[in-house]
Amino acid sequence: MADRNHNSKSMSRVVAIEVNGEHHEVTVKPRHMLVEVLREKIGLTGTKEGCEQGVCGACTVLLDGRPILACITLAVECDGKKIRTVEGLASGETLSAIQEAFLDQGAMQCGFCTSGMLMSATALLEKNPKPSLAEIKKALEGNLCRCTGYNGIVDAIRQASGEGVDPIFMR
Amino acid sequence: MILYDFEYERPQTLAEAAGLLAELGPGARIMAGGTDLLPNMRVAIAQPTTIVGLSAITPEAPRVDADGAFRIDALTRLATLTDSEFVRQRLPMLAEAARVVGSNQIREMGTLGGNLCQDTRCLQLNQKHDFQFVAPCYKRGGACCYPFPQNKPNICWSVYMSDVAPALIALGASLECVDQSGARRISVEDLFTGGGLRPLNLKGGEIIQAIVVPPPPSYFGWGYHKSTRRGGLEFAIAVAAATIRLAPDNVHCAEARIAIGAVRERPVRALAAERGLVGKVPDAAAIAAAVATAVVEVSPLPHHDFTKSFIVDSLRVHLRRVLSRAVERARGEIPTA
Repeated sequence: MADRNHNSKSMSRVVAIEVNGEHHEVTVKPRHMLVEVLREKIGLTGTKEGCEQGVCGACTVLLDGRPILACITLAVECDGKKIRTVEGLASGETLSAIQEAFLDQGAMQCGFCTSGMLMSATALLEKNPKPSLAEIKKALEGNLCRCTGYNGIVDAIRQASGEGVDPIFMR
Repeated sequence: MILYDFEYERPQTLAEAAGLLAELGPGARIMAGGTDLLPNMRVAIAQPTTIVGLSAITPEAPRVDADGAFRIDALTRLATLTDSEFVRQRLPMLAEAARVVGSNQIREMGTLGGNLCQDTRCLQLNQKHDFQFVAPCYKRGGACCYPFPQNKPNICWSVYMSDVAPALIALGASLECVDQSGARRISVEDLFTGGGLRPLNLKGGEIIQAIVVPPPPSYFGWGYHKSTRRGGLEFAIAVAAATIRLAPDNVHCAEARIAIGAVRERPVRALAAERGLVGKVPDAAAIAAAVATAVVEVSPLPHHDFTKSFIVDSLRVHLRRVLSRAVERARGEIPTA
């Protein structure tokens, strides 16, 4: 690292965030990202940290309903905000419709991109319950899947939007 | 996590932010969406000692000023621009340019003013230098250039990648900048120095407050295209933006503005090509001549593994299509919005 002369003791502060309906108060430094707070301080490891530079979309969470990248969001900026992660999609043992559709369509292989894909898909369906194929692809453009499972993922979103795509085990 | 400690301030108003910047000096940086600054901090291109975050300030909705000009708050998120019926109907070119930026998540985070203030990029610069390149390059305060080893000292050919800036230049937009001493109005073209080391012309502590777009005249058409390898989530190979105003006879070209982005250290106007179109009937031959002039005067830099000849070829095709679309829109042959 080439950093010089930086004050090594920047102030920690307490940030109040609501994650999946639960109120949390966490002590963070300005340099901590939201994804680290979610994973390491709150213990919600469903949100994945991939590229760490805002490209892969694995860390997508909903901040006040908008899909954002938790790896390039400072935790201190989220003070007083509501965050939804993949852990908040299911209610108890019951998976959400989009999660069920992902299972039906086999829309995952290694699963690393899945939590980000689910959050992007949730944001899309909440904004636009009947998206066209082009709209689905546009909404997913910020989520990379290295197992090339895109077709299954698109099918899952179409199924969740009521498009009538057969689950993979019925084809 | 960013590998060094810094301070964070969260002003409630733009005036307060300007005051903080003036007080903290050059070590402080403002941050709107953070989609450019934070990745740059991760690879140590930017190392501010304090971040002045603007997330507490709510942007005003886009509106029409008394003189008919459109006024868009610089803190308006790019996703708001693409979703806004107001922008899509009245400034469709800006909505289209905002739609092709980055990814869905980037557009939800990034703002219009922040997009204009992004730093220039280079394949070698935007990597961790302690990983592959031991000596810092010119832009990092060092004494070498990796992609262009023959470059004279402190000549940096990193490329300015904003997709929105060429569209705003083609629309003739201007910026309202504020600092502690007051506000000033500059054209979008004047925002850029043309140098890769310090691409922006903003004074220390200055913040872009709003983007003002003049109302489109009659017989007006636009064209916009961002060339990329993939369909999304990419910086451009080249961005072509053009607006055409026809004379009241609806045949001859009265005014043309061509802006090319992502090929130099700043978005470039193709002034000779514009002059060549004025007064002519913008048919296929005139457009082909304008394109031939434009690619020569713009003189693209090779960037991100694209050779100069590839970028020129790409521009030849896409600028021709963009100009044709602009003419078709001006003639009313295809819908404007």
